Amino acid sequence: MYDIFKKRYKQVSIYILIALCFILSVFFVHNNESFYDRPIAEVVKTVLEDKTALTDMYDHSDHLFTQRITAILKNGEEKGQLIHLTNEYSSSGAIDQEYHVGDKLFISINTSPVKNTDLSGTIIDVKRDQFVLMIAWIFIFALVIVGKRQGLFSLISLIVNTLLLSFALDLYVKHSNINLLFICGVCVFLFTVISLLLINGFNEKTYAAIVATLIGTFISLFISYFVMWLTSENGLRYEEMQFLTRPYRLVFMAGLLIGSLGAVMDVTITMSSSIFALYEQDNNISVKALKTSGLDIGKDIMGTITSILFFVYICGSIPMLILYLKNSYALGQTLSINLSLELARALSGGIGVVLTIPISLYTSIFFINRKRAK
Amino acid sequence: MMNVLVWLAAILFILMVLIGGKKGVRSFLSLFLNIGVLFVAIFFMTNPENSPIIITFIACTLISWISLFYINEKNSKTITAFISTMITIVILLLFIVIVTEKSKIQGFGEESTEEISMFSLYIGVNFAQIGASVIIMSTIGAILDVAISIASSMHEIYHHNPIISRKKLFTSGLNIGKDILGTDTNTLFFAFFGGYLGLLIWFKDLSYSIGDIVNSKVFSTEIITIFCAGIGIALIIPITASVNAYYLVKTREK
Repeated sequence: MYDIFKKRYKQVSIYILIALCFILSVFFVHNNESFYDRPIAEVVKTVLEDKTALTDMYDHSDHLFTQRITAILKNGEEKGQLIHLTNEYSSSGAIDQEYHVGDKLFISINTSPVKNTDLSGTIIDVKRDQFVLMIAWIFIFALVIVGKRQGLFSLISLIVNTLLLSFALDLYVKHSNINLLFICGVCVFLFTVISLLLINGFNEKTYAAIVATLIGTFISLFISYFVMWLTSENGLRYEEMQFLTRPYRLVFMAGLLIGSLGAVMDVTITMSSSIFALYEQDNNISVKALKTSGLDIGKDIMGTITSILFFVYICGSIPMLILYLKNSYALGQTLSINLSLELARALSGGIGVVLTIPISLYTSIFFINRKRAK
Repeated sequence: MMNVLVWLAAILFILMVLIGGKKGVRSFLSLFLNIGVLFVAIFFMTNPENSPIIITFIACTLISWISLFYINEKNSKTITAFISTMITIVILLLFIVIVTEKSKIQGFGEESTEEISMFSLYIGVNFAQIGASVIIMSTIGAILDVAISIASSMHEIYHHNPIISRKKLFTSGLNIGKDILGTDTNTLFFAFFGGYLGLLIWFKDLSYSIGDIVNSKVFSTEIITIFCAGIGIALIIPITASVNAYYLVKTREK
């Protein structure tokens, strides 16, 4: 009785702690302007000044709007003063958008020649942190409500992995003589152990999953590397890789390694938890029955996990694909320019996923047999 | 043809056939059918007359149809998974449309302006809605995965223990779901970070502060996509578990 009460108490205090974090962080992020160096202003009034129809060189019609905005400064020396801004936006909104009362914007203040006149400025970007935080909290609540303890642990593993990756990249940026691939290899090992232990706890099914994940990930990287070496990377359009400050091939390979890791873990954990669940339902189940059931589960998930990777990688390019197509690029050219690397990532991840199915089947059976022998 | 993509695709095909047999062949073909659906959807999105949201919904229905019924045949497993997927997609779509409108993450970030400077940007399509499509389409794979995994495992459990009660079946579905919840969010997380490793190094190299990173359009788009995907995965677990528990017990009673 006392134990139950104690457990309840612990549970309730965790919920209260989470709720407290939620309230405090939301309050903070709505009032954190003074922590930013860049001037921030909140829109208090907008007037639509002008609307013009526009046709570009490919005959697409669009509308261009001019918005006169009055905003109030939220930080810096001029805090509390009004500032006048002008915003031009189009109805398609590729790099611009309409602003509404209440939006918070990063701006730069123009130095005014005359004292005591209203300030004017230029809009630089939108303050998005409050939305990112809000969605992060919805994500956290969804994870904890549905996953309970396990949800909380997978959340912790995501946070730990993010910090680990950030730390590893700091290390790489500061000491450029260390190979990025080596750093990411070490990271992959740590990611696997941390995530699987946190998600699944210390037990046989986790150990089986860890072993299978590591074997699967490194074999699939090796295969991709071998293919790239064999074909001298023919067909990969590195020149369209965005955001590059480092040697592109290394960044791409390291991305390949990390990118497929999650999917491989997904296979190993699904396989091992299903196989162990069957074993727990019936301790005398034969190895042959485990193999058949396991392979059936593997066949079921093979296609869907591979398609997770395909969708994640390809969908990010949709806006760019549309931009190319609307700018009169031919379909084939658009696809080969924008998708070659994404497809290579997805295919290489898919290879990892499929290879891991037999690997994790046999490691799970190995661990079950070991448990039986005891 | 000494093309990397052709080679990788061939290896993937061979592996899928070796391990999955006939189902492997169908899994491989369905990947390409799905990509085909995606491209057709993108093509329709280039016409400003069409609403990207409606196109997305139709594309998602087709993709679920292909992934579930074409790979696995039409049976109780896939039908329950399909129903659960559609319920989740509708709820998630409403949520994501609001999110993209509010957070203004459509189109391209300032980090890309140099790359797209030679393009005409006033092309008449609705980039805000396209942004919502990107998020939901990135997630559809994961949602389908959860749906089929739970349905499949619950059927296995039911098969091995046909007298199990509805509540117990639902709980075991949830338990399987909890396992997948962590790993599927992991899958998306690592896939995104693998894909955007260059961007992360870029942030570090140009010493962006945390404030700069969180508020930048590129990063917030990515992180919001991961979160929305995670929300979708969490959402579909109880939905699939209850649909399956309801269905399996209902058919036993007959």
